[in-house]
Amino acid sequence: MELVCLGLNHKTASIDVRERFAVGPNKLGEASSKLVNESGADEGLVISTCNRTEFYLAGENGKALITQLEAHLQEHIDSNDPQDHFYRKQGEDAARHICRVASGMDSMMLGETEIFGQVKQAYQAALGAGATKGVLNKLFQTAFRVGKKVRSETNIQTGSTSVASVAVELAEKIFGHLKNSRVIVIGAGQTSRQTAQALMSRGASTVFVTNRSFERANELADEMGGKAVKFDEWQSVLAGVDVVISATSSPHSVVMPFHVEAVRSVRKYRPLFFIDIAVPRDIDPAVGEIEEVYLYDIDTLEDLANEAREKRQLHLQECEAIIDAELNKQKLPGT
Amino acid sequence: MEMGMERWLLFASTLFALIAAAQGTITVYRGQRSRLTLAWMILVICLQSAFLTLRGELRQACPLADFGEVLAYLAWSLTLFYLLVGPTYRISLLGVFTAPVVVIFQAMALIPGVMDADPQAIAGTDPWGETHSATSVLSYGAFALAAIAGVMFLILDKQLKAHQLKSGLFKNLPPVRELIFSLTRLLWIGNLLLTIGIIAGMLMPKPDGLNSHVWAAIAVWLAYLVLLAVKMIRGMTGRQLSRIAVLLFILSLGVFALM
Repeated sequence: MELVCLGLNHKTASIDVRERFAVGPNKLGEASSKLVNESGADEGLVISTCNRTEFYLAGENGKALITQLEAHLQEHIDSNDPQDHFYRKQGEDAARHICRVASGMDSMMLGETEIFGQVKQAYQAALGAGATKGVLNKLFQTAFRVGKKVRSETNIQTGSTSVASVAVELAEKIFGHLKNSRVIVIGAGQTSRQTAQALMSRGASTVFVTNRSFERANELADEMGGKAVKFDEWQSVLAGVDVVISATSSPHSVVMPFHVEAVRSVRKYRPLFFIDIAVPRDIDPAVGEIEEVYLYDIDTLEDLANEAREKRQLHLQECEAIIDAELNKQKLPGT
Repeated sequence: MEMGMERWLLFASTLFALIAAAQGTITVYRGQRSRLTLAWMILVICLQSAFLTLRGELRQACPLADFGEVLAYLAWSLTLFYLLVGPTYRISLLGVFTAPVVVIFQAMALIPGVMDADPQAIAGTDPWGETHSATSVLSYGAFALAAIAGVMFLILDKQLKAHQLKSGLFKNLPPVRELIFSLTRLLWIGNLLLTIGIIAGMLMPKPDGLNSHVWAAIAVWLAYLVLLAVKMIRGMTGRQLSRIAVLLFILSLGVFALM
């Protein structure tokens, strides 16, 4: 019995290629059954996330299984595209690969935890559809055990690795829990939206959105369950918020020290956290000199996120050692 | 000079507070949270309590008859408030910051000559006088812990402002808002206890009018009350509140000079 894996991910294929092979979460079981039937394998399993689609097969002849599968996938491949976007792994390489995937070591954001749940969901769907047996069952059980071990015994998932998560971590350092915290988003860009959503997911109670286009502000406010504020009225909201996220495309500063000075006494000098994601900066640096204000711009937030990413890289060797030890101990069938 | 049993207890408690401070500092420097500080501080308060009990038996009164006893009682009160506030509100590192202050107070108390080597029983104790001394010094424990929370705030504020976020200290310090809440809460508790102390002081028999240290205590009480009123009515930045809490505590220690 041989184990093989054929797949593509964010490193080998762009999104327009990846989306041609994507399988919805509700169709994973069906796709795994179809994989077994069409490839002639004894067992099959499909994993599909926004960053990867992978096919795991177990059968008598690994190379033949891959050839068979590639033939079936031809219909999704653009004949004008000369590039081969797939990676092919056999035996222990395939086993090592799924362990790395489940541990978040092959993810775009190194050490992220969402992938573990996605792999588990794919496995349960295939198991439910009767597409897995002894080889893949043992392989995936091992991968889950390795994933848990890697996360509990190394620091692969510590630190905030995105601007949004760094901002949330800082907000929690200032306010503790974010329950009842109020946020205003000035400018409805992608990063400001992500940051506001991250704050909301951690308990922020209210989000105000203001934008030069009130329609756009309304859209974003609706999306986040917040309130839209006209652009010339955002200062009136400042007195009641704890966090200000600014990301306009204005060539000049939008928030000036006098805006904050005007509301200090009404706020009773409570801490105020400014996150400036715009380039050029929206918030005059002098705002950060006001005693109760903590001001962070995009460069600082990016530096912090990069640093956390670099730290995670340092833990990769430890993670690989855990995988080696587990694979040596298990002697998985098909490897 | 031979040390009595009670002084050995105070010495041991000082040693354990020193261990708590050193071990806590090393752990924080490594970027980890010190889990043993609480255990060390429980040991410290047990030994402090044993010291005060023995000393109280010798005095046959609340052991606040000399400067050394006041310092030891103040250290006990500070430890007590830490144990009540720190774990309850999960204010990490409060113990690590409290332990060195306990060491300083108790080390001063242990300096030869500061504490009576041969404490005599106090004749004719007055319950109002005892209540006044006990609650007043207890209130200083709350004010001391408020000052410690203030120092913690000032460190965190400086690091957040300067974007210096890499140290183990930064990672383990509690959030800004929690420090401000705790500081304010401790100031209220301290002021309430001092109010009781002052009322008891006024009810003491006073053939020559109020003692100078009762007047000083009233001045301290008023200063803290004004601080709290301004914080509540007008509001003030965490930095101002912390600086004033630290300054007032240092100045208020001058009351003991009048004893």
